[in-house]
Amino acid sequence: MSAVAAKPQAGGAMNPGAMAVGIILLIIMLGICYMVSPGIGLVALIGVIIGGVLIGFGVHFVPVGGAPAAMGQAPGIATGVAMLAAGAGLAGLFGGAWAAEQGFVIAIVTGAVGGGMMMAITCMMVNFVYVFGMGIPAASGKVAKDPITGDTQAEYKSQGTEGHGLPFVSFVGGVIGGILGGAGGTLIYLELLDLYKATLPGIMSVTAAQVMPIAVSVAGIFAVALFLVNAVLTAYNITGTIEGPHDPKFKRWPRAIVASAVASALCGLVAVLIVAF
Amino acid sequence: MVDIVFGIGITALTGALATIAGAAEDTESNIGSQGDPNSQVQLAPQMGFMHRIFNKAVAGEPPAYGLWCALGAGLAWAFMAMQINPVLAIVLGSVLAVFVQGVYATTAYLGRTASLAKFGQPVYVDILKSMTTVTMAHAFIAIFATVALCQLINGALGHPFPLPLLGLIWGITLGAAGSATGNPYYGKERQYQNQKFGAGVPISASGNIVRYAEAGERNSLDNGWFTAKIGGAASGICFGLIVFLELWRTILFEQIGAGWGAVIVGILIILIFTVVDRYIEVWARKNYGPYSEIKEASS
Repeated sequence: MSAVAAKPQAGGAMNPGAMAVGIILLIIMLGICYMVSPGIGLVALIGVIIGGVLIGFGVHFVPVGGAPAAMGQAPGIATGVAMLAAGAGLAGLFGGAWAAEQGFVIAIVTGAVGGGMMMAITCMMVNFVYVFGMGIPAASGKVAKDPITGDTQAEYKSQGTEGHGLPFVSFVGGVIGGILGGAGGTLIYLELLDLYKATLPGIMSVTAAQVMPIAVSVAGIFAVALFLVNAVLTAYNITGTIEGPHDPKFKRWPRAIVASAVASALCGLVAVLIVAF
Repeated sequence: MVDIVFGIGITALTGALATIAGAAEDTESNIGSQGDPNSQVQLAPQMGFMHRIFNKAVAGEPPAYGLWCALGAGLAWAFMAMQINPVLAIVLGSVLAVFVQGVYATTAYLGRTASLAKFGQPVYVDILKSMTTVTMAHAFIAIFATVALCQLINGALGHPFPLPLLGLIWGITLGAAGSATGNPYYGKERQYQNQKFGAGVPISASGNIVRYAEAGERNSLDNGWFTAKIGGAASGICFGLIVFLELWRTILFEQIGAGWGAVIVGILIILIFTVVDRYIEVWARKNYGPYSEIKEASS
């Protein structure tokens, strides 16, 4: 294998040793939580880890082109991976938190749809500006044909570029990313809200009604913070830009899943310890 | 029924505020050159192209607007707790947040431009004086509109999140929507106005941004004027649609089917935008055609 051919594999290589260390760390943190708060605290932490993993996985779907996309030199949305995913996920969290009173499943689905809506609108407007503002059709630089529509891509790439705009598969990837991010952020919020609603009245010696604003605020801040942690972590895994689920970089997701789980477990443990220790 | 009518009115108002915020945000970021296209503003002097473009991209637009809107909302919330009229409190909170934005813009321009001294790029004091105030004015509009819509969502529509947290969430979303929609128009269409229309900028042309205007050297006010026409308007529509449709589906359909009504409407909205996006993509392929005719002719 030549050095040139080895490059992409090295970037996306899985390190079994690091993955094993990550899983051991995850088990240790779950064990600490079990020792401190075996009931509601452990359930909340598991919810936070699942939410974090959903966010980390979802960010891989979001087509982000960064600076090259802003010049029409590469496909994707012309902004940062972490920030776009955070924007979508937080829009979902906003909707999910609003629907929290209507039940667990409704709230998570509402959050997911909110994130998906944000991405659908944003991706459509990106193509709108490319096509009607700049006269440039969408073209992928990573695949010969769009895996969903079968549209050929190469002849629609302008000279000297990697492609531009959002081919349909990237649009769908963006919506899926928003859905997963919105669901994950809402799940984290709901789990922490339940934890704080149950524990804060006893700690602060106030009624359940009085503690609600504090519980909502703290759970909301932790949900936003965990969102940013997982989005930024995944951005490092992607290293710059990604076109969506058809991009070879997408195959790196198992590494991000473990990293997101460990980071979420650590942050979630702090969120549990402030009320359970 | 009265509640629903009231809710629809508030939803329309928040949608209008969000549209203004989106347009002001994109124009502000283009005048300040804060989005991803700023890579070219930073690169140009290194390639030998000196310019008079403002340069304040220390952070991306989403975290910057997350900070400023959270700051404006937090201060407005504190002023309201001091029994100050909400409108005045939001104005005061936004003004104080804009001062932080002004400090950020000033230090960012001086720091980033000074780092290019080895390539001969001067720090223009007149640019600093004339551009900073214009970005601050646009930032005020964006922050004020965002904090005002957060207050409406919290106070009138009853969202559980406190005002500062809503400011953070919608500030980040504002920056994400504005940079996603507005950046390509500034980056490709304005900075590389010397390149062919209807094609991406060849990678070999990187750094060779347009530096001259109709009279004299181009500055960032010219860029704000140009991008406000399409990039700014598109960013405003994008953020306005996000806020309006999110609230609209919740206010009107949340009570139907124990919450599932809002979910189904949300899914329908996603499907509608998917169809519209596909239509735009196919329309462009049909009307603009492929780029590879030259290759076919030579073969």
